[in-house]
Amino acid sequence: MTEYDLAIIGWGAAGFAAAIKASELTSNQMKIALIGTGELGGTCVNVGCVPSKFLIEASKNYKEAKSPAYAGITSSATLDFSEFMESLNQFVSGERETKYTSVMKNFENIDLIEGLAKFIDNDTISVNNTELKATNFIIATGSRTFIPEVRGLTDYYTSDTVWKMRKLPGKLAVIGSGEVALELAYAFSNFGSEVHIFNRSNRILKGFDDDVNSQLMAALKSNGIVFHLGVNFYEIKNEEGKKDIVTWTGTFGDFDEIIVATGRMPNIDGLDLRAGGITADNGIVVNPDFRTTNPKIYAAGDCVRQSLKLETLAGKEGVIAVENILGGDRRINMQEVPWVVFTEPNVASVGYTEAELKKKHIEYDVRTVELKNVVKANILNSYTGIAKIISGKDKKILGIHVIAPMAAEFITEGVYLIKNGLTYDDLIDTIHVFPTVAESIKITGQAFIRDISKMSCCMD
Amino acid sequence: MTKTIELRVYGMTCDDCAKHVSSGLKNLNGVKEVSVSLKDGIAHIRATDTANSNDLIKLDVFKGQYRAQVRSVKND
Ligand SMILES: Cc1cc2nc3c(=O)[nH]c(=O)nc-3n(C[C@H](O)[C@H](O)[C@H](O)COP(=O)(O)OP(=O)(O)OC[C@H]3O[C@@H](n4cnc5c(N)ncnc54)[C@H](O)[C@@H]3O)c2cc1C
Repeated sequence: MTEYDLAIIGWGAAGFAAAIKASELTSNQMKIALIGTGELGGTCVNVGCVPSKFLIEASKNYKEAKSPAYAGITSSATLDFSEFMESLNQFVSGERETKYTSVMKNFENIDLIEGLAKFIDNDTISVNNTELKATNFIIATGSRTFIPEVRGLTDYYTSDTVWKMRKLPGKLAVIGSGEVALELAYAFSNFGSEVHIFNRSNRILKGFDDDVNSQLMAALKSNGIVFHLGVNFYEIKNEEGKKDIVTWTGTFGDFDEIIVATGRMPNIDGLDLRAGGITADNGIVVNPDFRTTNPKIYAAGDCVRQSLKLETLAGKEGVIAVENILGGDRRINMQEVPWVVFTEPNVASVGYTEAELKKKHIEYDVRTVELKNVVKANILNSYTGIAKIISGKDKKILGIHVIAPMAAEFITEGVYLIKNGLTYDDLIDTIHVFPTVAESIKITGQAFIRDISKMSCCMD
Repeated sequence: MTKTIELRVYGMTCDDCAKHVSSGLKNLNGVKEVSVSLKDGIAHIRATDTANSNDLIKLDVFKGQYRAQVRSVKND
């Protein structure tokens, strides 16, 4: 039986990050098995972050080209959706090749083993009926789309399959209202589809304060998206290629396609975790050091019991699991993890929300500034949005939440502020570039000390 | 009473590395004898009962090029 120093189950972001870090830290002397199924790189590069952001950017480009935002500029743009989707798939293959397949060629110490793994006992797994032992394990099996039980829901796309679509739907139903649902709905509405979002709950996105959510919803509505929230749909009728969504309040008909994006669930059912002595409860239960209930076995990424499911977090957890296997004592402060919804405007967030602080009975101050106070946002004709900063009574910044164009590109400023325990005085004292949308963070900081309507540009 | 701790040591590529690891391991109180095999990437440490095997892998010598993991602890 082959014995490894480290067996990693799952070759997505967490698994790759762990395998490479373990190789680096041991001068490629650690003998590693990297086990997985499907395309190398897992969700993010193949069916997640990469294609979805390509789709969004292209859809923005098309929409802007069709209707330029500035006076005196007219244009006409046409769309060959099928050709565009081919190019998206080629882009994905290219990224997979450079960021995953080629990278692996540098590591002779890593064996790629294709197949589904499951535990036999606490230091043995089987892959394709072959047993494999290791001194250490990291489970990094990710998550998959959750499909709700709805009568007649048989012909639909998910974020795994939508990349195969070649005909732009005239009328599209998106079921779900989390970040994946909103991003896909936004992109298709830019391309010109009539998009309807259906969700049983009456809110969008989890983990944001209501003011942030309502700003985003207003922006998406003005992009043409129709929301049906708090709607209990119980049947899908397929007739002559068209789909009707039957709800308690009526039937919404004539959809060309349905995308189901009702959340994700951890990929743990086939692993026989019990045989490995590992506890799971809606995800693998880990200590703050990412060790599972079996001290030899760590877990990282989307398969872990945690609410945030992010490429960056998965990669970081893979790295930290390896460092801890090799004697480290690293953890992640979830308040320092930024996350973004890549609609336009972007929603970008790091740290506590007001709701979380209230729940913890932590006193705070909060300032919210509308984007119309930010010159660059006005230049971009982007008026929907806010920047919101929450500080402790000691002025330390506890949370930053921004709805603004390009907020994904500058939310990292908030990460540094929170990670280093900095105050809004430190933020105000830092010269920002003018004119930028990023300046919205500084202006919101200034709102703690003065009435910003009585302030000229670029003053501290 | 003494015990023998076996460490898997990663990152050693030459005789000097083995010497470096060996002398680094002697910095923990209670370590009596160290033998390092470059070929196997293994260190055997004989130490008093009071020496904690997990403290060995946190020694300065394992904060740079070399990394280690405890593989076994046996009472002599
Ligand atoms: C549409 C979409 C858009 C997204 N956009 C973003 C974004 O913009 N930014 C961001 O940070 N995050 C984004 N995410 C989230 C991000 O993609 C995931 O958080 C991340 O990919 C999780 O990585 P992972 O390594 O935990 O799991 P995965 O990448 O899913 O990898 C898991 C791997 O394990 C394998 N596997 C599963 N079970 C077994 C088994 N029993 N044996 C062997 N192998 C197994 C799978 O085949 C897969 O290869 C997006 C997700 C989606 C779906």
